[in-house]
Amino acid sequence: MSAILAAQEVFKIYQMGTNSVTALDNVSLEIGEREFVAIQGTSGSGKSTLLNMLGGLDHPTKGEVHFASKPLGPFTKKEMARYRRFSVGMIFQNFNLIPTMSARENVALALAFGGLRGQQRRARSSELLARVGLGDRLEHKPSELSGGEQQRVAIARALANNPKVLLADEPTGNLDSTRAHELLGLLREMVNQDGLTILMVTHDHELANSFADRIVFMKDGKVVL
Amino acid sequence: MSFLDILHLALRNLRQAKLRATLTTMGVIVGVAVIVTMVSFGLGLQGNMLERFKALDFFNEIQVYGRGLSNLAGLDRPARRDDGRREPSARGNRTPTRILDEAGIKEIAAINGVAYVEPSVNFTVYVRSNDKLLSQFVGGANIPNASTRFQNFAAGRMISSPTADEAVVSERFVRDYGYDKPADAIGKTIELLAPASDKSNDAQKEQEEETPNFFGIPLDDPGIDESAPDVETRSFRIAGVLAAEVREGAGQGGMRGMMPSAGIYIPLPTAHDWATRHRGPMSQVALALARRGGNLGEGQSEGYELAVVRVADPVHLAEVRQKLSDLGFGSFSIVDELDEIRTVFLIIDSVLGLLGGISLLVASFGIANTMIMSILERTREIGIMKAIGAEDREIKLIFFVEAAVIGVTGGVVGVLVAWGISALANRLAYRFVLKPQGASFIDFFDLPLYLTVGAILFALLISIAAALYPASRAARIDPVRALRHD
Repeated sequence: MSAILAAQEVFKIYQMGTNSVTALDNVSLEIGEREFVAIQGTSGSGKSTLLNMLGGLDHPTKGEVHFASKPLGPFTKKEMARYRRFSVGMIFQNFNLIPTMSARENVALALAFGGLRGQQRRARSSELLARVGLGDRLEHKPSELSGGEQQRVAIARALANNPKVLLADEPTGNLDSTRAHELLGLLREMVNQDGLTILMVTHDHELANSFADRIVFMKDGKVVL
Repeated sequence: MSFLDILHLALRNLRQAKLRATLTTMGVIVGVAVIVTMVSFGLGLQGNMLERFKALDFFNEIQVYGRGLSNLAGLDRPARRDDGRREPSARGNRTPTRILDEAGIKEIAAINGVAYVEPSVNFTVYVRSNDKLLSQFVGGANIPNASTRFQNFAAGRMISSPTADEAVVSERFVRDYGYDKPADAIGKTIELLAPASDKSNDAQKEQEEETPNFFGIPLDDPGIDESAPDVETRSFRIAGVLAAEVREGAGQGGMRGMMPSAGIYIPLPTAHDWATRHRGPMSQVALALARRGGNLGEGQSEGYELAVVRVADPVHLAEVRQKLSDLGFGSFSIVDELDEIRTVFLIIDSVLGLLGGISLLVASFGIANTMIMSILERTREIGIMKAIGAEDREIKLIFFVEAAVIGVTGGVVGVLVAWGISALANRLAYRFVLKPQGASFIDFFDLPLYLTVGAILFALLISIAAALYPASRAARIDPVRALRHD
């Protein structure tokens, strides 16, 4: 199984005045294609930092992140933006939808960055929202949608430009357990049916256990298992 | 992301903070309106003034002067007030080296582009008419005469021939001498009074002046008044009365062209003859000195002080002046002054523009402020956009386009406001100032296309400049920090 996304001896050290905080301490991790991996750990264990690193939002202090065997280190800012646009999609605990835009507009914004225009963009955004079960909520604003629905919009947006990998940062953190199960069911289905690779950060062991292929435990910035 | 998408996003952002965007745009509107109103007022002032000059023949007439009598006499000239400020060579009005005599006039008339030359002869003399005796300024007129001075007659017509004992008088003359209306003066006699010249001296002088006789002046003294043997008179019949000066608009004040205006015009040869025969004591001294110094030969005429050259097309003015200079004559044209007037107006316009520029500068701080506020509000949104793959360039562009929309909107509305202000000011000036004085409508403003377009572009430029810092700050937003759970 070839690794689509890999972290190699990654360190992230934040300088806080005189003392430095090590958020990631020599983390190495490989995620195979079509794998659903959960990272579990307490808050402050560095799991979100690792996710941001893999998602191209942050740079490691030391070490290297590889995507499809290519190191991200030498990427220019523009190439990094393209990586976030086309190679990985991200969803967050608090959804991070643009509140003034409808579900369709949120998805269409990502498509616009991907270069899709006019009718194609409309069709594709409808299709994406239908895939996550929101075919009838296209013109609703985030405030008019439930938490589960908002996270589905976020998933549709993350997958807008056909990325290989979906990075999910506590996607069920703001959902009740029924909605959480539904949502992870959808993600599981996407891995099985659409060949998506998912790396999910969570602190809920039960959920991770039920849906993920593999669980990676983190503690104090280190992978412990 | 296409430009249309960016424009769409920028407009959406502006719409979300409508009041703030409107207030910011208001600043730009005020700035542009001030600039455009001020500068167009300056340009209007300049345009109206130049228009007036043009209507008065100031652009196609040149004053030519030769080596005058005082120069020939070797008199020292006091330093000119403006000496050192101008470069005389560049202006062409260098010290003349030759006498402006009949031969010179002929040569000037032959210069390409010269419509006509008219020597200027004038003098002050006591004139009797309608039993009134007043001091009058008399000028000589070429017959026939194409000058605009002799286009409008209130009554009668132009002097019929260069040898006729006829005169044309101004409307003011008619009033001063107590004629009821211009038509009453036609056919009446005027008498020019001068001291009776010493006969022998006179005869000798006539001989001298006669040598290059060009006009064939009748030299008999026709008008010796028997009743007053020590006073010599000469009579003219009033042939025409010039129409009163225009009271408003172009031509106001009655001065037209470069020729000094006079109350009475008589045929030029007659006037020249009178002026040389009845010269004043200073002129007599100068003439004597010039002859003694050898600058003026015994039989040589001192020529004319001044002549006015009219060019067919003002475009040729500089060439003609160069040729005049080549011939050895000095010249003066209002265009010299015009350059200075233009400089003054440039300064006025710049100051006016600067005032507007300052208000636009203030507006630009408003734009920068608005942008920074909106960045603070939209930090999360910018973080989201970056997380889903927005490039720094695209983030920047959104802000630039937002600023540009503010700038262009402010510019266009500002120009419209300025246009409205100038229209209103014109109406008010007409209603409350011009109309009560019986004057016609004057457009005080000049709003050329380049000013309109320039002002809008300037507003756009200032707005984009104001967005430079906010845009780069927006692009620098760290998405991890922006998206941190709150």
